[in-house]
Amino acid sequence: MVNPLILTTIFLPWLGAVAIWAIHDRNPRLQHALAVGFSLLAGLAALAILPFISSQETAVFSLTTQSASPSTWGSLTFVPDAMGVLLTVIATVIGSFAIIFSVEYMHGEAQLGRYYALILIFIGAMSGLALTGSLLFLFFFWEITALCSYALISFYNDDPKAVAGGIKALVITQLGGVGLLGGALVIAANLGSYDIPNFLANSQALSPALLAFVAFAFLIASAAKSAQVPFQTWLPDAMEAPTPVSALIHAATMVNAGIYLLFRFYPAFASVPGWKTAVVVVGLLTAFLAALMAAVAGDLKRVLAYSTVSQLGFMVYAIGVGGVFAAQFHLFSHAVFKALLFLAAGAVIHSVGTRQMDRMGGLGKEMPFVRNVFIIGALALAGIPILNGFWSKELVLESGLEGGPQWAYLFMLATAGITAFYSMRMVWMVFYGEPADPSRHVHDAKVAMRVALIPLAFGAFTTWLLAGPLSNASALSLPFHEIHAMSTLEFAIEILIAPSTWITVSIVAIGLLIYLLRGKLTWLSSRLAWLKFAAQNSFGFEKINQFIVAVIQRSASLLRKTQTGQLNWNLAALVGCLVIILMIVIWSV
Amino acid sequence: MTLSPVNIILIGVFGLLGIGLYGLLTIRNLIKIVMVLQLLVKAAIIGLVLAGKVSGQIDLGQSTAATVLVADTMVAVVGLALAVQIRLRWGTLDITALSKLKG
Amino acid sequence: MNQPIYYLLLVIGSFFCAYRMMTSKNILSAALYLACVSAMTSAILYMLGATQVAVMELSVGAGLVTVLMVYAISVVGKDASDPAPIIPRGFAALLCLGTIGILLWACLPLIPVSGSRTAQPLIITLWQGRVLDVWIQVVLLFAGVMGILGLLAEQAIRKPDLNHTTQTGK
Repeated sequence: MVNPLILTTIFLPWLGAVAIWAIHDRNPRLQHALAVGFSLLAGLAALAILPFISSQETAVFSLTTQSASPSTWGSLTFVPDAMGVLLTVIATVIGSFAIIFSVEYMHGEAQLGRYYALILIFIGAMSGLALTGSLLFLFFFWEITALCSYALISFYNDDPKAVAGGIKALVITQLGGVGLLGGALVIAANLGSYDIPNFLANSQALSPALLAFVAFAFLIASAAKSAQVPFQTWLPDAMEAPTPVSALIHAATMVNAGIYLLFRFYPAFASVPGWKTAVVVVGLLTAFLAALMAAVAGDLKRVLAYSTVSQLGFMVYAIGVGGVFAAQFHLFSHAVFKALLFLAAGAVIHSVGTRQMDRMGGLGKEMPFVRNVFIIGALALAGIPILNGFWSKELVLESGLEGGPQWAYLFMLATAGITAFYSMRMVWMVFYGEPADPSRHVHDAKVAMRVALIPLAFGAFTTWLLAGPLSNASALSLPFHEIHAMSTLEFAIEILIAPSTWITVSIVAIGLLIYLLRGKLTWLSSRLAWLKFAAQNSFGFEKINQFIVAVIQRSASLLRKTQTGQLNWNLAALVGCLVIILMIVIWSV
Repeated sequence: MTLSPVNIILIGVFGLLGIGLYGLLTIRNLIKIVMVLQLLVKAAIIGLVLAGKVSGQIDLGQSTAATVLVADTMVAVVGLALAVQIRLRWGTLDITALSKLKG
Repeated sequence: MNQPIYYLLLVIGSFFCAYRMMTSKNILSAALYLACVSAMTSAILYMLGATQVAVMELSVGAGLVTVLMVYAISVVGKDASDPAPIIPRGFAALLCLGTIGILLWACLPLIPVSGSRTAQPLIITLWQGRVLDVWIQVVLLFAGVMGILGLLAEQAIRKPDLNHTTQTGK
């Protein structure tokens, strides 16, 4: 029963992509309708898998021949376990919200066919990535999502910034993909198959050196995909994409693929010496530095991008200290409130026409609906009690206190405070204060946007209630992860009585107060001016990127000199290689 | 290592090959390059027949050598025709100068 | 006839003719040295026992190809363009000697397999055992002839232009 549903979540969006591309851009209304329809159907199919969560592998398509030996590619297997189905539900449901939002956001834009087709292909590939049980097909779907991400970032391909951002995202995430492929090939070569449950059961069969290699290769792949330090520079530049794309791909879905990778392979790598520490350090640095960068950014989407990077750092940190369920829960909450924030920001940007926050201001009176949902999202981000961000962030910090080094916990606590600071700053600069341009004409969100925003806002209040069922499903279907199942009430009580919770709440309150009282704290901001300068220059990471690009270009132009175009030189190279090959052949025989 | 006929011919084959490769690396006249290619082909033909004799399959060696002979004669003929046309159109047969031509 | 001395003479002769072919300044004499190499190759083939191929080699190599070369040279003109090579001679010699050295080191000494069958006439081998090869040769010949005709047809029209050749894009 579950096989057709799984195949639907993957191939129905792809079918929709082909259909939308086939009807061309002559009929935009039909394109909007088809896109919404296909994505909603995929979302329903994903929700229908929920009763069937299990750790059983279902082989869908096997390329084995008559003989019993496995073929080179392995079989296309799917494992509908809790983490996979969670990501699939997030991808398809939030995907349908993003598409519904696009009906209004992309109204009147050109090349809608390309836009919707790419988004639908992406949704299908993400479902495949989350559900598959074969490493090779994981890599295959990983690459498809990277391709769709690149194409959508460069959607406005007349804009050189958009094209540059797309290429940067593609190059950095593909370099990480090399790590994934290398690890997958090592596993397959040593264990004989690409099967993931098989690897998790037999991970000790690999020699310690090889296991360490695979562990760090996967860490690099997920750090590049989830924009962690040192690969975080692509996500802020990817904000040139249309905002629904940013909401779906760069907040809720594709960047979670890295977290998914770390989560799924955690049982195999937890015993590798130094791996968990490396993960903690990566998550910690990312969360802290990105929060600082968000606090000084002037572009609304960049603030949200840095905030995404920072929250992903929280999840990576959680995995590193052993709180895998906390990471899973925070991933769920984050997907909901970050998508909400991005879509609401999209409504603002669509209406005002600029992304710079210092040209907004005072929009609260003119866009009350958007202001309200945005504030809900910002409160969830900051970790105010009752909203889902509070519960999941507390769970992350609590597991950090129990399982990880103390100094790391202090940094994450500080990061939570900075998160509150920049959330407040964001809300204030956009919706309160004096309008930068009193003569502008803005309108509130219309029907399509509201239909997309309301369920997300509702989710920001309520998704934490699913903690119990989520932990139950995870404990059931993820036998290697040793997740402790509790009901929601038990979770709530545990979080409320833990002392770390109240420490965090007070730090969050301090963060909020610091922003509100910033007029009186100018002495502090002048002392921290060096920090502001460093954060605005992204702590030197952009410079490193530019340096790497310059080195590659210079070496390429040096190597150009070897291509002389002269027949004699070409033949000399031929003869030289002949000599080398002969030597290799003779010495090995 | 005795100087049996087979060994001598083997040295001959590789020697012609070497001289031919040296010619390919140093000669700049297009017609001379076609001649050097012919030389390499002769080395190949002798090598094929020699291999046939050494392994006992004379028929195979001969038939392959005949095939190669015909094919490479065609190569020489077409190469010469091209060289003539190049000379008439661009006035030079120097391959270094021909590499720099545009259009 | 099977004594090593004859083989040695033929091989050294072909080396000498090949070397002279490459280093002669006059293209016409280079073509004639190539014909000598063909003749010696044909003799070697005959002494190896491949009689039919030896005859083919003599008629094609020393006949057809040489005639074509001489014709081409007559059309092109005996311009004595023999510029210095762009690769240093020592480096080229080193590469070639390296190749030959490795090959010789690996292949010598050769030991013939004893007890070979008597050879069938070549024509039976070709038309029965390697029919596909033969048909491919036929197609190749046909294509080659068509190509030559096409190329030479244009030359026939352009030949009066030889005195006023425009030198485009030198």
